[in-house]
Amino acid sequence: MAADLPAEFDVVILGTGLPESIVAAACSRIGQRVLHLDSRNYYGGNWASFTFSGLQSWIDEYKQREATTDEPVTNKEQILENEGIIPLNQRDRTIRNIETFSFSKSEDSNIVEEIGALSIKPELLNTNPTDGDQPLQESPAPEQPELQEPQSESVEHQETTSESDQIPGANIAPNSEGGSTTDAEPNAAKVCQTESRKSITYSDIVREGRRFNIDLVSKFLYSRGLLIDLLIKSNVSRYTEFKNVTRILTYHNGRIEQVPCSRADVFSSKQLSMIEKRTLMKFLTFCADYEQHPEEYQDYKDSAFLDFLQSKRLTPSLQHFVLCSIAMVSKNTNTVDGLKATQHFLRCLGRYGNTPFLFHMYGLGEIPQCFCRMSAVFGGIYCLHHSLQCLVIDEDSKQCKAVIDSSGKRISCNYVLVEDSYLSEVTCAQVQYRQISRAILITDCSVLKSESDQEISVLTVPSEDGRQNAVYMTELCSSTNTCMKNTYLVHLSCPSVKATAREDLEPVIQKLFTLDADGGE
Amino acid sequence: MAIRELKVCLLGDTGVGKSSIVCRFVQDHFDHNISPTIGASFMTKTVPCGNELHKFLIWDTAGQERFHSLAPMYYRGSAAAVIVYDITKQDSFHTLKKWVKELKEHGPENIVVAIAGNKCDLSDIREVSMKDAREYADSIGAIVVETSAKNAINVEELFRGISRRIPPLEPHQNGSNGAMKLGRQTSQTTNRCC
Ligand SMILES: Nc1nc2c(ncn2[C@@H]2O[C@H](COP(=O)(O)OP(=O)(O)OP(=O)(O)O)[C@@H](O)[C@H]2O)c(=O)[nH]1
Ligand SMILES: [Mg+2]
Repeated sequence: MAADLPAEFDVVILGTGLPESIVAAACSRIGQRVLHLDSRNYYGGNWASFTFSGLQSWIDEYKQREATTDEPVTNKEQILENEGIIPLNQRDRTIRNIETFSFSKSEDSNIVEEIGALSIKPELLNTNPTDGDQPLQESPAPEQPELQEPQSESVEHQETTSESDQIPGANIAPNSEGGSTTDAEPNAAKVCQTESRKSITYSDIVREGRRFNIDLVSKFLYSRGLLIDLLIKSNVSRYTEFKNVTRILTYHNGRIEQVPCSRADVFSSKQLSMIEKRTLMKFLTFCADYEQHPEEYQDYKDSAFLDFLQSKRLTPSLQHFVLCSIAMVSKNTNTVDGLKATQHFLRCLGRYGNTPFLFHMYGLGEIPQCFCRMSAVFGGIYCLHHSLQCLVIDEDSKQCKAVIDSSGKRISCNYVLVEDSYLSEVTCAQVQYRQISRAILITDCSVLKSESDQEISVLTVPSEDGRQNAVYMTELCSSTNTCMKNTYLVHLSCPSVKATAREDLEPVIQKLFTLDADGGE
Repeated sequence: MAIRELKVCLLGDTGVGKSSIVCRFVQDHFDHNISPTIGASFMTKTVPCGNELHKFLIWDTAGQERFHSLAPMYYRGSAAAVIVYDITKQDSFHTLKKWVKELKEHGPENIVVAIAGNKCDLSDIREVSMKDAREYADSIGAIVVETSAKNAINVEELFRGISRRIPPLEPHQNGSNGAMKLGRQTSQTTNRCC
């Protein structure tokens, strides 16, 4: 198969995450010959989304790869005299500490099978064809996810792999200032049964596993910003659909409350007094074009946004709403940044719906695929499950002139773009890594019930002592095509502070979710 | 009449005539020297069906299938898939089965599957019998026809067959799931909260 690949391209791109896919589309669009590869057999790298069984195989795969060592493969035959090489990682190491838990009671103990499931290809468990030391046939491919016994102990997986989570543009909330940092993420996944209403069991989830599209990294988008502009301008938006986030929630005084943010919300709010409503409306109106009224915040330019809010006589509840859920900034953010964030929120509000945020149907994992499709439409060549051994550098010009692919074939090119997780630790010694703790839960009822069971909610949980960062949560309903009927897919994240994602997020999860009383833990 | 958009994705080996079938259906045109597909992402054609108008949004693979790297987004939300083989190439009929498997794995449930045995104008050098094709199609509940994009045989029938298999909307349904496409037209530049 690789033999069919042409031996010359203008641009070779390794990794199919969002940034790489956007570059691939852009290069193809201007007529460059693009080869786009990924060592995995799925699109997206750490931007991928998986079905329920797909996620389990992904976890198993990480576990397996952890057990093997990375042997650098270099094919010296293809290297000329005045050429050097930069070897690439054959294994990805940024996601760490994966643990899974099931709190579901499974009264039906017969083995279940995912509807329409096909046996998982063994290569799914070994995305690295060049790794000779990894016995393919010994991968115990789970033909179907095993049913866990009632109250089974949690299955623990611990792996070290790598992820490049580079966030382009400023319109991915909430970690929008991520710029070009790379996150290494301890990741925890949890299957959690809250109040059993329709009594969703673990076997139900397995059976309906294909209804899930579980993002490894979940993000929602501001409805205005560079990425939205790009989707529209490039026409990639026609490949894909969004839904507006329907509710913004906050955790306040030990309760979950809905944040009123539009004019209609504010006036219909039951939690706000008449005076609060007026104060909030007046404040938001000011924020919408705060630059026009510098006199209003001149004296607070160098102080914290919170102090400014207090000076505007916002009550503690209003301060909380504005700070945590509208501006989504921390207590020590300065006034101008807080105003800017509030203004951005307001500008995004009402563009497509009642909140400023969009969520992608089928999950974020679709967006990179849409850009890849655009690249393919303009001639980009796609090859998954195919990697690079090394980059070939011309010693004189210090430029990369070719690559050696995983089958040992030399492919010449003018430009190479490599997702950061493929670069060795030595190559990336200068990069500052940022850790993010994440948890993914499947629950059977919303954290805040409402008339509709199809709400898409965003929730901010500020840290108790105000010193740590807030935990952000999204709760997706089944109409986003990310989870089965009568369940919710919940993603939580916060910058890592403790050693594992579990330690960082468990306290918040315990606050927000209850386990079925007789389900036990 | 209500217009219903129906996504249809094309599958099948390279060179079996996927693009030619679409070109015949949409433009009633055949090009002997059509090049392997790049640059086409989708074509549309609207046809009446009962009390509805069916607007087919026909997606071409854009070549991503060549190295077995078709993205799952390609199948998302498809109402139907047209899987094409070349009746003069046994191999292309063999890979058809792989595409069916792939669809079952990644495609939506209830997707209408239509099998087109293309190039039926070349039946003197045929390698796949209609009987084999029909047996296989019946076994997976698919529509099957032999087509010729070249001589305009059965191409419209193929799509008519798909239309017939699409259940009509119930009166209360509007065919939308509440999701939206982002586009220039939807952006309201001055809409603010206050
Ligand atoms: N005789 C005959 N030739 C056909 C017919 N349909 C297509 N062809 C020829 O078959 C060749 C391939 O057709 P395409 O439509 O490009 O095939 P494709 O499946 O789109 O191929 P890729 O885009 O490479 O995947 C072209 O030379 C067409 O002229 C047909 O019905 N009869
Ligand atoms: Mg074609």
